[in-house]
Amino acid sequence: MRLAKPIRLVVVVRHRRRQTRTLAIGLAIIAAGAFAIAQSACSSVDELSGVPVSSIPGHGDLGLDNTPKDGPRMVPPEAYIRTYLHLFGGLSPMAAQKALRANDQSAVFDTWNDYLSSLGMPDYRVDIPRATQTNTLMLATFERLGIALCDRSIEHDLQAGTPIGQRLVFDFDPGTGSADLGAFASRFDVVHRTFLGYPAALGPTDRVSDFFDLYTKTVAAHKATGAPASRLTSDQAGWATVCYGLVRHPEFQFY
Amino acid sequence: MSQSRRTFLKVLGAGAAAAFSSGPIARALADTGNSKEFFILIHQAGGWDVTLWSDPRNSRKGGYIGDPATTLDIDPTKITGWQNQPLDGGADETFQLLQKGNYLLGPAMGSLADMFDRFTLINGLAMNTVSHPDGTYFSSTGRHLAGGRPVAASIDTMLANELVSQQNFLPSVSVNFPSTFIGNNLDASVSPLRVTDVTAVAKSLARTTLYDSDQDRANVTTLLDKESKELAQDAYYPQVPQAFDLQVGRMPQILSDDIRGLFDANKLKAAHPSFFYAGQQYQKTGGLNAAFAVEAIRKQVARVVSFQMTSCDTHNTNYKFHPQIIQETFEMIASLIREMDNTTFVGSNDKLSDHVHILVVSEFCRTPQINLSGGRDHYPNNSALIVSPRIKANTVFGASDPQQLLPVEQKGVFSDGDRAPSPADVLATFMGAFKIDPRKYMRDGEVIKALLR
Repeated sequence: MRLAKPIRLVVVVRHRRRQTRTLAIGLAIIAAGAFAIAQSACSSVDELSGVPVSSIPGHGDLGLDNTPKDGPRMVPPEAYIRTYLHLFGGLSPMAAQKALRANDQSAVFDTWNDYLSSLGMPDYRVDIPRATQTNTLMLATFERLGIALCDRSIEHDLQAGTPIGQRLVFDFDPGTGSADLGAFASRFDVVHRTFLGYPAALGPTDRVSDFFDLYTKTVAAHKATGAPASRLTSDQAGWATVCYGLVRHPEFQFY
Repeated sequence: MSQSRRTFLKVLGAGAAAAFSSGPIARALADTGNSKEFFILIHQAGGWDVTLWSDPRNSRKGGYIGDPATTLDIDPTKITGWQNQPLDGGADETFQLLQKGNYLLGPAMGSLADMFDRFTLINGLAMNTVSHPDGTYFSSTGRHLAGGRPVAASIDTMLANELVSQQNFLPSVSVNFPSTFIGNNLDASVSPLRVTDVTAVAKSLARTTLYDSDQDRANVTTLLDKESKELAQDAYYPQVPQAFDLQVGRMPQILSDDIRGLFDANKLKAAHPSFFYAGQQYQKTGGLNAAFAVEAIRKQVARVVSFQMTSCDTHNTNYKFHPQIIQETFEMIASLIREMDNTTFVGSNDKLSDHVHILVVSEFCRTPQINLSGGRDHYPNNSALIVSPRIKANTVFGASDPQQLLPVEQKGVFSDGDRAPSPADVLATFMGAFKIDPRKYMRDGEVIKALLR
């Protein structure tokens, strides 16, 4: 019994050597075959030339399917808040909250927490899911936040005398409130690009004039005898309402 | 009317809305051409002890396995319906049963017990769960959770989807109620406005006049109205700017003092002082929500108002206060009924209570036995309470067995055989009272016809 094991081992080793030799020869033949096929394939590809899709029979009027594959969905409130913070100087949420509240009894802003549920944010502590569509309350919250952004930006940009180039929203010389559509249009273009992302000239034809009407109406109302006291000059109030209109604009909310 | 309503629904809800892609939902009003029915849905969080109110147990006689409430376990001093009685002739003091109409009630219903001809009880509800989230959503949707998530629309959404009208620009307001918006045949406009605190909304509606005037902002709104109409002409999905336009058009309303007052805690308390009383400890927020509900429905701003009551989950010695917690809930419901009895339904000589229907649910009940910590744990039986002119009052449907306080099969009631009622049956019956086919929304549940008037 003890002699049988070495003999069996020798037989097994010889058998495996034969197997290895056979395997090597086989692989070499396969490699050679594959090389030959590849060579012939390469030469075939070189000979092919592309044809227009329309030249293939039955493909003459093949249309391109460019229809949307997904329905519209609400821009998440996180995107709104991030954009808002960016417009307000890239501050952190808490820093922005502090600046917006400003501790000046103006009550233009409370805390972010007060607005989150109205903006449609989920509250997983109490299993409230994310809102999937806007509602009137959400739009009212957009107005509340937009007014805070515009009023504080007026204070920062125009009242504090911040140099042009360092301003948040009103990065232009506001002028003197004269009713000049041309002067208004160039300034309006600055804020239009800021909020809506494209030149005002590319918008609907009457957009500039409509906003100019809003501006002049507000300036006149604030200049009128007996007008309520305001922390803004009449011209600043005019620009503030223009800002409200852009920060609440459907294009700003949707895109 | 039908066409304009459909158009209204199509555009009201969503500035976004995947729901838009599914197209408008063509459906007729289930109840009448313009329903006058409104709803208040209440969830008593935590799981209530039915032996203290709807399904009372004050004796171990008859083989009852539980421990009836005694003065050793609870504090009866503020429980108005509590009258001492020796427990089975021993030294421990339990409570006396209250015979009110056709009911035998426990002591924790407060003055609501005297309104026995206004409410309906459904006892012996088979919950098949002792999990808070599962029981909570089972009670509001008629379906157990799947993978921890709800799988069906909640009762507030179903009702709003059927009965919303143009006046209801906040069709369904849900204050921590287990509301869901799940299903293919729901209109985006009735997605519940879910808030954690009704007064939190007030801050979104606040406006300072230190910088601008109401007129300045109104001018902006007018301009945006025009801009959204123009956008709708060019938009690939015109419904989106149309919805925006409609919502912008509602801004003067929601910012009016009348609507702002709805979310003002001080104004609500002043208008409805009966919801707030000396000695009230646990359900002040519930009182505020109830005051909001009355006002929002009176003004027809909301079709459905749903909210949650402070939890009565009492596993240890805090069970001592359990009867007071739920008594405050029932007191609030009694106040709701009284307030609505004294309020006229707009445009008629009817009382508001003729058109407002209240459903009160919880996630389950509590164990018959007192545990080693002096409290009661979760138990898969339950009761529900309905206050509705459409449902037979002074009536109990269902029962629990005398020994184990577990649901008992009801013979010859359900088409799928003898079984105990479930929350799905309660919801189906509630909808059936308004001629809404529950099968349109619910997989389970059957209308209990014996309860319909």
